[in-house]
Amino acid sequence: MTGLRTDAGVAGAVAARSGGERPSPGAAPDAPPVPRRRRRSPTDVLIAIWGVLGLLFLFFPVLVIIVYSFNTGRQLRSWDGFGFSSYENALGNPTIVATIQVSILAAAGSAVVSTILGSLAGVALARRPSARWVGWLTLLLGLIMVTPEIVNAVSLLPWFVDLSNTWHLSIFAIGQVRLIVAHSLFSCAVVTFIVRARMAGVDESLEEAAADLGAPPVRRFLDITFPLMRPAVISGALLSFTLSLDNTVLSSFVSVAGSTPWPVYVFASLRSTLRPEIAAVSTLMLGLTLVALALVGLVLRRAQKTTGDSGGGLAATLVG
Amino acid sequence: MAADPVAAPAVRQSRRRLRWSVGMLALPIGAWLIFFFIVPFGLILWYSFGEKPSLYVTHSNDVLSLDRYLEAVSPAFLQTFGRTLEISVVGTVLCLLIAFPMAYWMATKLSPSRQGLVLALVLIPYWTNFLVRTIGWQITLSPEGFLSEGLQALGLRDGPLEVLYTMPAVQLGVVYNYLPLMILPLYVALERMDHRLLEASRDLGANAVESFRRVTLPLALPGIAAGMLLVFVPLMGDYITPSVLGGAQGGMVGQMVAGQFNRAQNWALGSAMAVILMLAILAVVVLFVLVARLFGFVVRRVQHVDLTAVLPAQGAAR
Repeated sequence: MTGLRTDAGVAGAVAARSGGERPSPGAAPDAPPVPRRRRRSPTDVLIAIWGVLGLLFLFFPVLVIIVYSFNTGRQLRSWDGFGFSSYENALGNPTIVATIQVSILAAAGSAVVSTILGSLAGVALARRPSARWVGWLTLLLGLIMVTPEIVNAVSLLPWFVDLSNTWHLSIFAIGQVRLIVAHSLFSCAVVTFIVRARMAGVDESLEEAAADLGAPPVRRFLDITFPLMRPAVISGALLSFTLSLDNTVLSSFVSVAGSTPWPVYVFASLRSTLRPEIAAVSTLMLGLTLVALALVGLVLRRAQKTTGDSGGGLAATLVG
Repeated sequence: MAADPVAAPAVRQSRRRLRWSVGMLALPIGAWLIFFFIVPFGLILWYSFGEKPSLYVTHSNDVLSLDRYLEAVSPAFLQTFGRTLEISVVGTVLCLLIAFPMAYWMATKLSPSRQGLVLALVLIPYWTNFLVRTIGWQITLSPEGFLSEGLQALGLRDGPLEVLYTMPAVQLGVVYNYLPLMILPLYVALERMDHRLLEASRDLGANAVESFRRVTLPLALPGIAAGMLLVFVPLMGDYITPSVLGGAQGGMVGQMVAGQFNRAQNWALGSAMAVILMLAILAVVVLFVLVARLFGFVVRRVQHVDLTAVLPAQGAAR
């Protein structure tokens, strides 16, 4: 949870910090020595420089996009002058606004679907680690994780066409539904692993006690199980949302004319001309993502105080 | 209530019901994934044995054969496949080489609060759209871009930069795009490491290199294995990065598969290519897991005292 938690404060300081001051350990040399840390060797300095360079590398294209979003030229690639025209044009372009709406709706839908499916499965896996179906489900989830997106995309396209044309399930002709289904596949595997990791350490006796006291299953889930898994559910939902916003490959295959999500619009304009509006929208979306993450970070921080989660949790849950 | 003799079986029964109902929670995801993942894959597996009967039909299974697979492994496909494999292997190794010192720095050289900050810094770019970040590199590498003009102005280059739309550009792009996926598992593995082990090894007379080789590296192995898988698998099937940075010289298999479904409208051939790609990735993953197991086994045998002789009960339990 550390990553999310710190987002709140650092969002603004990011650029300044990664550019200027080097976040090095040990602070001033004349400070009282920190236990278990000897003097800083040349290797330590080299490793710190490497680390900061790595961070700069990670930020580099993002900064390029942010800078070029103020390009007043017609083409994104060739710098013309500084201005806000791209932001005006982007927000005044109904096509762009529509694609963003499609993207956000698909992301929300896929987050809901994958969070529900993944949370249930995560609880089941954590509670019954030795049941017979566990191996099969883990294999299935593992297969999803190792299937390249492109293979997933080309197999979903004919399936959706079949479902809507041959089976007359017209719901699968709706672009938004196709996007939500396609995006939910990978996400629900991710949510499952996050929730399983969270619930693996939690004792089942609380639920058994509730059952013994006569609580019906729904009540048991709402009063006991859900509060325990809430941090995992929130980070899982958030991750599914961002994974869906990010998705280009699946979307470009399954989307239907009229419900083009934002990344597919960008991908299509690669073949014609990339205009600065694309950078402007991306910058706005990065800003919004950071704000959303900060809010979630605050929520998680509050949850953390009550449940006592340790640092590095986010990375651990991200990895599964 | 506890004194009531009827209560005991009732409790047992409610436990059993609890057990049964918890297992049922995995049913929805199973059904969902079978219907939208397994069945669609079965469908293209089926198509891959068919053919494209005429110009306006995408596929037909009237005649079943393995011809599409023979057609798929054309010299052009094999060349692209080889390039994809090369980019993926080199990319995975480069990611590991770049990420390891970074993760080591984050996990062992920073205070916990700084660790949180740096972890956030690693993740923020990752939350920017993948495609848009790749476009950031396209802007940077383009012949009329700022990097090219800056290098020329400094006299470091005579002509414009000619990297965009080549294989090195794709290589750079994939290393960039998948680097966080390598940093995170390495960081998790190294962060869990007990620092006292390193101090013990130093106190016992090992030098820095030896402590690294005998303590840090073996403890980081699970993270290294996870990171390599997390990077290699999506890299093999990547379709965005080569489309943005690759051009004609840097194409990858993902684009060929997509092309059969988009432009050529030959679903039978495209399906065969997709199946080959999937099988290749599965083969590499299985091979990798086997090698990792074997490697881990050898490392354990060579470097550790055999505790099973001392603790037979524990040995039997494993």
